[in-house]
Amino acid sequence: MTLKKKLILVCFILSVIWLAVLLFSLSAGTYELNLFKDFNSFSDIERKVFFGIRLPRILMASIAGGTLAVCGAALQAMFRNPLASPFTLGVSGGASLGALVAIRLGLTQSIIGFSIISVFSFVFSIVTILFVYSVSKVNGVVATGRLLLAGVVMNFLFSAFILFIQFFSEFTESLQTMKWIMGSLDIIGFSLVWKTALLSIPACLIMLSMTKDMNIHSLGNDVASSLGLNIKKMEMKIYFATSLAAASVISVTGPIGFIGLFIPHILRITIGVDNRLLVPCSFLLGASFLTITDTISRTIISPVEIPVGIVTACIGGIFFLWLLIGSKKEVII
Amino acid sequence: MNYVIKADKVNFSYSNEIVIRNINLLIPKSELTLIIGANGVGKSTLLKILCGILNPDTGNVLFNDIEIKKIQRRDIAMKIAYVSQEPVFAFPFTVKEVVLLGRSPYIGRFEFERDSDFQIAEKSMDIVGISHLKDRLINKISGGEKQMVSLARAIAQEPEVMILDEPGTFLDLKHKSQIYRTIKKLIDEMGMSIIIATHDISSLLIKFGSTVLLKDGEIFASGKSSDVINESNLSEIYETDVRIFKDGDNILISANTLN
Repeated sequence: MTLKKKLILVCFILSVIWLAVLLFSLSAGTYELNLFKDFNSFSDIERKVFFGIRLPRILMASIAGGTLAVCGAALQAMFRNPLASPFTLGVSGGASLGALVAIRLGLTQSIIGFSIISVFSFVFSIVTILFVYSVSKVNGVVATGRLLLAGVVMNFLFSAFILFIQFFSEFTESLQTMKWIMGSLDIIGFSLVWKTALLSIPACLIMLSMTKDMNIHSLGNDVASSLGLNIKKMEMKIYFATSLAAASVISVTGPIGFIGLFIPHILRITIGVDNRLLVPCSFLLGASFLTITDTISRTIISPVEIPVGIVTACIGGIFFLWLLIGSKKEVII
Repeated sequence: MNYVIKADKVNFSYSNEIVIRNINLLIPKSELTLIIGANGVGKSTLLKILCGILNPDTGNVLFNDIEIKKIQRRDIAMKIAYVSQEPVFAFPFTVKEVVLLGRSPYIGRFEFERDSDFQIAEKSMDIVGISHLKDRLINKISGGEKQMVSLARAIAQEPEVMILDEPGTFLDLKHKSQIYRTIKKLIDEMGMSIIIATHDISSLLIKFGSTVLLKDGEIFASGKSSDVINESNLSEIYETDVRIFKDGDNILISANTLN
């Protein structure tokens, strides 16, 4: 089968899965909705639940999950390391701290429609990735061990700052900022969905347009550049796109880990490592995954809602361990 | 002389360390050029400058009389292929997929490989003798086989010039002679110009073509391989007593470590 046919087939299957997940998630919840009856016969409360809460939340979950997974795939390609992701490189931590600082400083205004919270989040994440990158470079080459260590250390530092801020917050404030520690998709209305999509979708499209470059890049800087790739330009584009995309999501949802790490990983095992397949499929599978985990988080002990970050980390972590233990012969990491 | 690449007063340094000093060089067309020198003498750097991966601090590199830095990177990739000393494969692509990456300069950003690209990739694997590996994962084959895959990828680029950095490094005797015979075939049958940096001064390689001896980033001697490669020159550039043993056309080069 040619790559083109494989791409169409896999994307079709993943889209069907995504659609099924969307339908299920729209109907499931504390307030059950029957989606197969006439829309016009929906009661007022049903409409409010559908349009005001559930649809925006599910769209947000899809955008966030898809975006984080694409960021993971792109960062892994750029750092030539399957352990790179917004979470492991400290970008998530940076974005969370940025958002939290803006909230604590009471900066709730907006700049050309974007809240200062998002702007802070973006700036913090781009500074983090540049810092982690420069620390991990030895003689112009990224040392993998240093890279991941620097990312993990930055994450610890950011958690410490975040807990510090949290510790000195009043009780109500601290509840408000809780979501930037645990990750939550608890939004109302569409405005945040559109704002996030406005930044994250173009960033994902930039990454999607670079999948061929990512393949070439996997052959190392010298060979990639002899094959016509402008390494510096490519890296700049990926920094910018991943920071923009991750920050636009995390500034709304808080840190949601694991998706960027393990969605591309599962796909590499199942469909192969070609980024022309991997990146678009990461979006579709990431979107489905976060939507379904979010639905689990709000229904499993309904009406109590568990922050989705906890659920993704649990499911993702267990799944990852299972993969790791079961695939000892196929060592990819 | 009919040359394809010309280096004109090339100098290069990494931060403060001068690596390449005032190198003037003509790479003859459809011939083999060996670049020989001790470790750290600047061979790899010189190769990267000749294929435009690195830009010289001063001086020029010309490809077919055009300044190489004025040519689009993608256009260079269709003319000059480069095989690194230690090939990097960050992700477990199949051997076939890696060889197909050699076609990427010919494929647009949103295009897929055409039938002709697949045929060229198959042919390249055939030339190198790795067709039986094509569906294997690149991380599951030996270091020597990886080197062969890199060579096949470079052949798939259909270049005029191929630049190889220590292609014999990871190879056992069988694979080494296989790779050197492939190189001979590329010159004789496809008219490629080939530049090899190496320590491994093999009989097959010095029987034809020319050699450039490097010492401290400068050209120590250059000319026909059979003239340049002798005990006194090699002893000088390796700074040790080098002996050459002959058996007909076959030669063996060894450092005298006994006294």
